[in-house]
Formats: sequence, C-alpha cells, structure tokens
Amino acid sequence: MKIKFSINGKEVELEVSPKKRLLDILREDLELIGTKEGCGKGECGACTVLMNGKRVNSCLIPALQLPGSHIVTIEGLQNWDSFNSIEKAYIEHGAVQCGFCMSGFVMSSAALLAESLPPISLEKIKWELAGNLCRCTGYEKIVEAVHDLSQRRELIQQIRNDWQNAFGVR
Amino acid sequence: MEVIYRPKTLNELDKIIRENKTDLTYLAGATDLMVQEERWKAASNLLDLSSIKEIYQTLEITESHVLIGSALPLSQIISNLTIQKKLPVLVEACRQIGSIQIQNRATLGGNIANASPAGDSLPVLSVLDAEIWIGPRNNGEFEKLKIDQVMLNPGETSLKDNRYIAFISIPFPREENQFWYFRKVGQRKALAISKVSLAVLGWIKNGTIEEIRISTGSVSPQVKRATETEAILNKHILNENLVEKARQSIIEEVAPITDIRSTDEYRRRICGELLREALYLRMAQ
Repeated sequence: MKIKFSINGKEVELEVSPKKRLLDILREDLELIGTKEGCGKGECGACTVLMNGKRVNSCLIPALQLPGSHIVTIEGLQNWDSFNSIEKAYIEHGAVQCGFCMSGFVMSSAALLAESLPPISLEKIKWELAGNLCRCTGYEKIVEAVHDLSQRRELIQQIRNDWQNAFGVR
Repeated sequence: MEVIYRPKTLNELDKIIRENKTDLTYLAGATDLMVQEERWKAASNLLDLSSIKEIYQTLEITESHVLIGSALPLSQIISNLTIQKKLPVLVEACRQIGSIQIQNRATLGGNIANASPAGDSLPVLSVLDAEIWIGPRNNGEFEKLKIDQVMLNPGETSLKDNRYIAFISIPFPREENQFWYFRKVGQRKALAISKVSLAVLGWIKNGTIEEIRISTGSVSPQVKRATETEAILNKHILNENLVEKARQSIIEEVAPITDIRSTDEYRRRICGELLREALYLRMAQ
C-alpha cells in the first residue's frame, strides 16, 4: 500500500506492505539505523520512537497505521536544541556502555522530561524508564543522568519547546 | 494479498460488516496482536479500529458514568484527572499494564478481546461492574454485555461473526465509605505478565462491611467474582477472625490453572495472601 507520513519533520511517501513494522521501514526503506531492534516484542524498548507526541515501540506499529502520522527518531532528536545537553549528561554520568539500548533510552528520557512536572523523583524516573532494558549499566547511572537533567529548569523548557516544534501543541 | 479497512466512522464500520462475509481481524494498539506471530501472519483482512474517532478518542464523563472508546490508549485513561479521582482502581490496573510505550498504544478493548486470563484490566472491570457495548448496532442499539459474558475462555470470546467492542461504560462507584485494592504479582515489578492479580472494591461503615466485590486475574480461565468469599465478608464486622475466614474461603473458592507462569497451589495461596493484605490495609486506616 502507498503511505504518506512525516519522519523527523519531512514528508515521505512509500510503497510498502501494510503489515511491515515501522522499525523495518525506518531501517530498510529510510536507512535510519539509529533505531535498534532488541526483542521485537515490545518489551525491551530499544526501538522506541516518538509517534504523534507519544513514545511507542516501533516494532509494534504496522505500516497501515502510519498514514498522516508524525514520527521522530533519534536522528530527528539530534537536531533538537536540547539534544546536546541530554547526550552530555548521559556521557558525564557514565550511563553509556555498549550503547545498543541508548537511542531507545534517550527517546524515553526526552519524553519523560517533556511530559512530567518537576520535581521528578528517582522512583518516578525508574517507573517511567521501565520499558527500556539495558544489560550493561545496571541502570543506576542512567537514572542519575536523567535525574540530573530533570533538575535543570531551562533545559526542561527547551525540551518542551522542541517537543512543540515537532508535534504542535500538546 | 491483504485487504485493509480504515473506516472513519462507526456507520462505515457497520456497513463494512454487513456487506462483508469474510473474517475480519480487528486491531487498535496491536500490542497483543503483532506479538502473536502466527495469528498476525495469517490475518488477511485487517480492520483498524483506531481510525474511527468515535472509539479512538471517546472519554465521555457524566455525573454517574464514564464511556470509554474501546480503542482509546490506556495512557489517556491513566492521565485523566476525573478518572483518577472516581476510578482509582482502574487507573492503578492500567498503570501496571506493560510499559509507558505499551500504555501509549494498548487499549481496554484489546485487553478484553484478546481474552487472556492475565489481562490486568479484566478483574477490575469485573468489580466495577463495567458494561461492554458490542457492535454492529441493531436498530441503532449496541448489545450490552458484562465482562464474564464477553470473555468465555482463554483466547475465546463471544465476539463471533465480526462483532466488535465499541465502548466500555463504567458506573462511578459510591465514594462514601469506599475502599479499593489492586495488586498484581509477577516475576518482576514492571512489564511482567501476572501470575496472580486481585481487585477489591468495597464499602465499610463503622467497622462493618456493607458490600464487597472481589475478582481475581490470571487465576481461573474465566473472569469470575469470588461470590462465596464475598458472602462471608458482606454485612460482617471486619476483624482478624473474619479476615482469616475470608482468606481460607478464597483459597478454596478459586479454581486456578497451572501454566508456564505458575502453579495451582501457588496461585491459591497468593490469592489468600493478597485478600488478607487488602483487608488488613483497610483495617489499618
């Protein structure tokens, strides 16, 4: 089927099978390989992307539901003003080891920071990131990095602005 | 070749069903469907319920009820302030389904239609006495069924002949003297499929239980209220003796399955412990 949707702010039109997973469309048709496949069953969060202002597992989105949607992947997030701060916090806290889960974690972190009202507790961060698995870090450093980010008011505002630019008013 | 339907309205949907004799596979969040590889591969007539605004967006609140579109993502239920206040037990159950990524896609309609005994919203819909509105409409009317009339057995529902879930209507329970409890026991806290869950909704006045509704999840093949145990508790003074009687009763009453996630014996014992916790928490207030 022919589908038309927006990816990282650009309109695309593709001819794909209606059951093709968004994850495969990203990696194969659009060559956006920053989004990773972990379990392929919606449990590990490695394939997390933003769809119409919500974080979702791209392995569980069939092409037939894509028409008219707005998708942002890690490649799109890299162009956000707030991205460098998020990246820096992850590096400074030693929250990245092998890196495979990272694009998913960063997408979820951006969503969590844009959606939640500060102060954001460690407990809340753990709950919100429970849909992303990491087999290297033991999570502590990831949670610390996000907690650090959550305490920076200007940055939170910047993430919200970036979010609005990508998806319109929430 | 697959045939894809994305109707915009319930009228269009009903028309497709009337004119179509082939088996349709409905999807909304697709979070359960796409992981069942064989079913997903075999599905050739797909109908996307999330394209229908009436059931994808509806969250209609009146004085006495809420009407929830069957394809409304769970996160919309969780974040609604009125639902948080009026139906905290529903919000708690939805919060424990999958991850945020899943909650942004998964729906109540899907949880019911998938008919897994481990569907975490099912015991809660049972104690809340929810009404499931089933289409296509007959003379403009949905058929209205209770959860135990829709889910018959694991994976089996009464939704034959392309019937679909349109809405879930939930009456707001009386707030005065109310207490509630929902707990799910799984392998780990987040994202685990339940071994046992227990939902309780009750009313207690001056130490006496006026009414109590108890339902278990992941235990028996059907969604059933524990009516015998409820009868032991109803109209009685809540104390340690009564709690012990109720605990023993529910261990006897439930008819658990043994499967890959747990055994009959474990499920019985945990049901008893969860009920004890629910009642002790109320006593401690």
